[in-house]
Amino acid sequence: MRVNFVLSEVATGLRRNLTMTVAMILTTAISLGLMGTGLLIAGMISDMKEIYYDKVQVSIFLADDVTDEQRGAIEAQLADSPEVQSYLYESKAEAYERFQQQFSQQPELVENTPADALPESFRVELVNPERYEVIAAEFPNGQNGVDQVRDEGDFLDRLFSLLNGARNATIAVAVVQALAALLLISNTIQLAAFNRRNETNIMRLVGASRWYTQLPFILEAALAGLIGALLAVGGLVLTKVLFVDKTLAGPIKAGIIPPVDWGAIATISPIIAGAGVGLAAVAAYVTLRLYVRL
Amino acid sequence: MIELQHVTKLYPASGRPALDDVSTEIDKGEFVFLIGSSGSGKSTFLRLLLKEDDPTRGTVTVNGKTLNTMSKWQVPKLRRTMGCVFQDFRLLRNRTVAENVAFALEVINKPHRTIKRVVPEVLEMVGLEGKAARLPHELSGGEQQRVAIARAFVNRPLVLLADEPTGNLDPETSEGIMLLLERINRTGTTVIMATHDYHIVDSMRRRVIELNGGQITRDQTRGVYGVGR
Repeated sequence: MRVNFVLSEVATGLRRNLTMTVAMILTTAISLGLMGTGLLIAGMISDMKEIYYDKVQVSIFLADDVTDEQRGAIEAQLADSPEVQSYLYESKAEAYERFQQQFSQQPELVENTPADALPESFRVELVNPERYEVIAAEFPNGQNGVDQVRDEGDFLDRLFSLLNGARNATIAVAVVQALAALLLISNTIQLAAFNRRNETNIMRLVGASRWYTQLPFILEAALAGLIGALLAVGGLVLTKVLFVDKTLAGPIKAGIIPPVDWGAIATISPIIAGAGVGLAAVAAYVTLRLYVRL
Repeated sequence: MIELQHVTKLYPASGRPALDDVSTEIDKGEFVFLIGSSGSGKSTFLRLLLKEDDPTRGTVTVNGKTLNTMSKWQVPKLRRTMGCVFQDFRLLRNRTVAENVAFALEVINKPHRTIKRVVPEVLEMVGLEGKAARLPHELSGGEQQRVAIARAFVNRPLVLLADEPTGNLDPETSEGIMLLLERINRTGTTVIMATHDYHIVDSMRRRVIELNGGQITRDQTRGVYGVGR
């Protein structure tokens, strides 16, 4: 195979259809960028699940006027309960400390919150997280010093279903964009083949192999796919640097949401590149088989 | 060498067959004129030999290989043994004379050394030495056809198919082209030429196959264009 010949054919092809090539690269880039975002969100979700789910499952907030006796009774009940794996007592002071830490990026909020505004609580880990109802029944709200029993798992489920929805929506848009990208690739290849019909006709007549005739077109699409993938990765890097690291710095530092680290981007970049190159090449090949006589 | 047995070719769009039960045989080294009015089946005849199309019925054999049963990936190999020349030359406009000829060898992976050696040889043979660096539009019609012939012949094909190669040329230029084709024929290459040019056919006195409505109506070894002309 004559590498120079093939490469110069590829370059000519891309140059001749510049507008189509640009459109093809951009759609590919957007699609792959969204796909990458979806993958990042998916990774983030599983990180967050690790952060949250293992910790608190049920919080028992105590009333402001709880007595030492009531507190002692609750603690004893928790200690005896077969449903309880472990529990942790958090005083008002500890709660306030954690609050200060969590919202260190929003000093106004901290300033405006009195030190005793946060309730003391028991953080309870259940043997079986699904058995929240049992605990809730054992400690009726507003009685015996209990202000409120809250299923944090329930809250997390809602949070995660929101995040899952965001991920699914991103991937859905990515798929639609990918479809547009594939059609554009197919169109561009048809145009390219039409532009070079003199060359390919002669190649066919002098007995160039099918592979030799097709390879420049397939490489052309693959190259566009690769450029699109590089743009997509660039987009992800920019999103991390300009949006995630800046706007979300507070919650990340506080450990509320996990950071998007370079490792995650490094992991999905080859996936994106592979998908871009592979899909473009396959689309080009299929187009040549179906629509173009070579 | 080349054999057609009861070959019929129907195109879906047309009710009348382009070729209708055609049987003939062409030996190695023959020079054959394929004549007949437009639509008589000459081009279809040539296309079937190149396996650009498959016959609807009957068998086509070239160099001992039956084209009907030939698989797709073997077709390039078949075409490397055949050269093609057309009325409209079909040169690549942005490539020089030498590059146009070299293109035919490059795309079938001939080594650079070979290309460097044989391209000047074949250009000299067709009388274009000194014009290797010209672009096609800088050449006359006759010279462009010589480039096309050089390209068709550079890989030393067993068969040269020419579809009205003089159709765009004046009589004098045509004569030069015919001398060239005759010379190629003398190297042992079978030449099959579809033409309307009766001057040429009459003066060469070679085998004439006349097609009419897709059927062979005449096959003469030293024929002329029109009977009784």
